[in-house]
Amino acid sequence: MWEHRCKVAVSGVGFSKVTRSAEIPLAAHALEAVRGAVEDSGLAMSDIDGLATYPELPATGHAMIDGVTVVSVNCMMAMLKLPNLTWHVQVETVNIGGAVQQAVNALLAGVCKYAVVWRAMHNPKGTYQNLPGTYAQGPAQFTAPYGFGGPGQGMAVAYTRWLERHNQPREKMATLAVTQRRHSHKNPHAYFCGQPLTREDYLNSRMVAYPFCLYDCDIPVQGAVAIVLTTAERARALKARPAYIAGYGQRLAFEVAGRIGSLSSYMEGGRSSSRLTWERSGFSPKDVDVAQIYDGFSASVIYGLESYGFCKEGEALDFIQDGRIELDGELPLNTFGGSLGTGRIHGLWHIIEGALQASGRAGERQVADVNVSFVGASAPIVQGTTFIFVREPY
Amino acid sequence: MSEWSRVTRPIPVPNEWTKPFWDSAKRGVLALQRCQTCKHFQHPPYATCVRCMAIELAFEPVSGKGQIYAYTIMYHAGDKRFAAAIPYASIIVELDDAPGALLAANLLGAPYTEAKVGRRVEVVFEPLNDDITLPQFRLARDSG
Repeated sequence: MWEHRCKVAVSGVGFSKVTRSAEIPLAAHALEAVRGAVEDSGLAMSDIDGLATYPELPATGHAMIDGVTVVSVNCMMAMLKLPNLTWHVQVETVNIGGAVQQAVNALLAGVCKYAVVWRAMHNPKGTYQNLPGTYAQGPAQFTAPYGFGGPGQGMAVAYTRWLERHNQPREKMATLAVTQRRHSHKNPHAYFCGQPLTREDYLNSRMVAYPFCLYDCDIPVQGAVAIVLTTAERARALKARPAYIAGYGQRLAFEVAGRIGSLSSYMEGGRSSSRLTWERSGFSPKDVDVAQIYDGFSASVIYGLESYGFCKEGEALDFIQDGRIELDGELPLNTFGGSLGTGRIHGLWHIIEGALQASGRAGERQVADVNVSFVGASAPIVQGTTFIFVREPY
Repeated sequence: MSEWSRVTRPIPVPNEWTKPFWDSAKRGVLALQRCQTCKHFQHPPYATCVRCMAIELAFEPVSGKGQIYAYTIMYHAGDKRFAAAIPYASIIVELDDAPGALLAANLLGAPYTEAKVGRRVEVVFEPLNDDITLPQFRLARDSG
């Protein structure tokens, strides 16, 4: 087991307004979320001395404008002018979960005391995935000429392989979409809060990239979420009950850029990340009381459930049936609605919900008697990170 | 059958790693990068052998026969240039000669509903202009 388990905790979370398109600059969303997280923890902004993020827009063919399409550490520093800042970082390889893990490491190293991590997501005007122009350069030269565009198609090909290898019908995924939508109705910050989705809506919805229909894809939105992390000792003195980080991991496999995701590479990404998390925490899948698994595309949940070890390969679409992922089920899943319910804010919202469930602060959607709370914060293949939060240090 | 005649495809731009692939395709030959030490084929081309780390790599012809490893049917034209072909099959092919090296393509000459994991396919060549010819795939003639 990891000697540093339960030595760092999440002690505040914050949310901005989530809108379908950009009405105010993204920096204003990020600021609202960071202020909310600091207030939730009971700290003053001047206490914050660490900053970390993953500033990225997953859309292609759009200009990167700091404060408008991304919110970098520099942008946040310029806004906050923190008098006691001692540490900051931006990560590249494993999405926002990597920024959280770097903040954990910085706190353990004693180079900062109260770190804020945020994820801000922009919804650009026009087509989300603007494919290359007349020419396809770099890795895209082997994909764009064939009409392969955004990550949806890259995910869809692995999903067809999964479905046909395991002889499973895509219609079973309706349970995930409908259940998560229902969960999102208990999350006032979620984009789809209050908008019902029925099994029939799912089954009759238009196809985007078979086997993905509209409701297998998270909706692009504009918004931000943030957390405050600190050492366990400091966290106990703050307003919010701490959610202790018992272990984390990141994917350790990478395939050559430009190759369309193969099913085996998704699985290896998830296995490598979760193995570290199980070993460090000392827990196993059967110990988990509640799980958040990244669902930018619905099939990520399938790869996650299987590669993290919650069920065997080929069984995930059966695993999610029969009430198992309901709030009172055997493995309540994506209890905040997931990205399918909140809109596309990436994995920090999964991390936030994992922390809230562990600390008993999930309100109306709180799962009973949670101690071990699992998070798979990004698609396992290229960006995968995993976490375990616990209510009681051990 | 997807309507490809009105689709304007993005033109690949060869670079120092990929030029031999496109030069071969122009001659109607599918050639993939192969490690000269461990004989592993890989695609897309890379600086080193991703299996044994050797740097001696060369492009060698492959038979162009293989099977559909995975596919998607596109119903949404993120790229409007492909709108005329919708719905169309974008497939991933694993070649008999190069297990693990996955090539993207479209399934040509057959309804998109013929795309299934495991279907036998063979390479065909689609010239885009005087310089660039795209390897594509159709159902294998001996697949029955």
